[in-house]
Amino acid sequence: MSGFLDTLKEKVLLFDGGMGSMLIAAGLGEGEAPDEWSLTRPDLLADIHTRYLEAGADVIQTNTFGATSIKLASSCRGGAPDTAELNIMAAEVARRALDEFIVGGRFLAGDIGPTGEFFPPMGLLTADRAREAFREQAAALEKGGVDLFLIETMYDIREAVEAVRAVREVSDRPVVCELTMDRKKKGYFTIVGDTPAKAAEVLIAEGTDVIGANCSITSGEMIDLAVEMRSLTDAPLLFQPNAGLPEFKDGCAVYRQDPEEFAGDLMKMVEAGADAVGGCCGTTPDFIRAVRRRLDRM
Amino acid sequence: MKEHLDNCRQAIIDGDAERSEALARLTLEKKMDVLEVIEKGFVEGIREVGRLWEEGELFLPELVIGADAMKKAMDVLQPSLEGGKGGKDSLGHVVIGTIEGDIHDIGKTLVATMLSANGFEVTDLGADVPVAKFVETAADKGADWIAVSALLTTTMPGQRKVIEQLKAKSLRSEVKVMVGGAPCSAEWASEIGADGYAGDAVAAVALAKGKAG
Repeated sequence: MSGFLDTLKEKVLLFDGGMGSMLIAAGLGEGEAPDEWSLTRPDLLADIHTRYLEAGADVIQTNTFGATSIKLASSCRGGAPDTAELNIMAAEVARRALDEFIVGGRFLAGDIGPTGEFFPPMGLLTADRAREAFREQAAALEKGGVDLFLIETMYDIREAVEAVRAVREVSDRPVVCELTMDRKKKGYFTIVGDTPAKAAEVLIAEGTDVIGANCSITSGEMIDLAVEMRSLTDAPLLFQPNAGLPEFKDGCAVYRQDPEEFAGDLMKMVEAGADAVGGCCGTTPDFIRAVRRRLDRM
Repeated sequence: MKEHLDNCRQAIIDGDAERSEALARLTLEKKMDVLEVIEKGFVEGIREVGRLWEEGELFLPELVIGADAMKKAMDVLQPSLEGGKGGKDSLGHVVIGTIEGDIHDIGKTLVATMLSANGFEVTDLGADVPVAKFVETAADKGADWIAVSALLTTTMPGQRKVIEQLKAKSLRSEVKVMVGGAPCSAEWASEIGADGYAGDAVAAVALAKGKAG
C-alpha cells in the first residue's frame, strides 16, 4: 500500500468528520472529557470510527484532540488518566477499527489538538513546556500505530511549531498541521493574529508536510481561504470546515448545515486546488458520505 | 489637560503598562480630576481597543496588553475614587466577576471601573468565579448588586445558578442581579429572573443607578 503522502499525490483524500458531537450523541456525559472514552467506552468509539469508514473516509482521526497532559489536567479536574496510556489506547481502538474494515487502503491520523494554554502576553505557556507535552503525546500515538500526525485547530503558530518539532523528534511519519482562522474584514486571522501567509512560511520551513485550516468557520467561508493558501504554497493542503454556524439549544451547540451544501463547498475547495478535505464541528458520517459521492464522480 | 487625556488614551491603545501607570501617578501628583482622567482618558483608550478588536484590526495579544495597561492605571487611581471609600457618598456595593469556567474579563473589568468611577463601592472577584463565591461575597459585604459576566454560551447557565443560589439562601430579596457579556441579552436576563441586562459599562452604571436607593 502506498504511503499517505504518495497517495495524496495521486488523488484527493477525504478525512473524517466531527467526533465531539458523535460522542455526545452516543451518550457522553456533561462532565466527561471526550478523550476519556478511549479508556471507558472503546466499543462506542470504535463504532464511530467504523461509521466514518463506511461513509467513505480515507483517513480517520484518533479521539485524542484534548489528550496532551496539559489539556487533560485542566479538563479532568477529578484526576486525569495517564497520558501515554490514553493516547496508545485511542490509537489502538482506531487501528483495530481500520484493520477490521472490509476495505483497505485507509489511513490513521494521530490527532493532536492545542494544549489549551496561551503563550505570553495572554498566558504563561513556554515553548519547552508545550513541546514536551506534544512529544509525550506524539510518542504514544506513534507507539499506538498511527500512519500520520494531524496537528489541528492551532490558533498560535508558536504552539503549532512546537507540535511539529515534537512530532519530528519522535517520528518520521507525515505531519499535517491545520490552523484555525476567522474571516475578518482584512482577511483570515487566528485569534492571536496569525495569517495564512505566515502559516505557509513558518510551518513549511519547519518541515510540515501538509498544511491547512479547520474549524471556526463554515464551509462557505473557507473557500476563499483555500484559494488564498493555494496561491501561497505548492505544499499539499487540507481543509476541514464546520457544518455551518452553531445554534445553542439547552446549552448544547447544534449545527444545521445541509450535507449536500457542505459537500458542494468542499468540491469548490478541491477545484481551487485542495489536496484533502474533511469536516469539523457538527459534521457527521452523512456529511462525509455526501462528499464521498461527489469525489467519486470526479 | 487635553494632552494628558490623549496620552492616557494612547497608553492603553499601545498596551504600554509602564506609561499608563506613570500617567496615573502623574494624575494624582498634579491633583487632576481623577474621575475625568479615567472616563475621558483611560476608558476612552480601552473602548478604542475594544472597537479595534471587534473590527478585526487587533488581536488577542494587543487586547491583553491593553487590558493590563488599564489595570495598572486603575490600581493607582482606584483608592482615590469616592465610591471606593464606602462612605455615605457611596451609591451602593456591587460584587462583580466573570462566571466559573470563563476567563474573559476585559468587559467585566471595564464595568467595574465605570461603577467605581461613578460612585459605587466595587468588589471585583476576577474571572472563573464559582457561583458560591458570588453569593458568599455578596452576603459578607452586604452588597446591593451582583454583576455576573459570561462570554461563552457554555458558561451562561452559571448566571442562572447564581440567582438560584441566592434564592436557596433566602438572599434573593436582598441582592439584585445584573448580567452581561456578548451572548447575553435582555431576554436571557428575563428568562433567568435577573433584575437586568447591561450590554456595556455605561448601561451597567445606568442600571445600577436606576435601581439604587
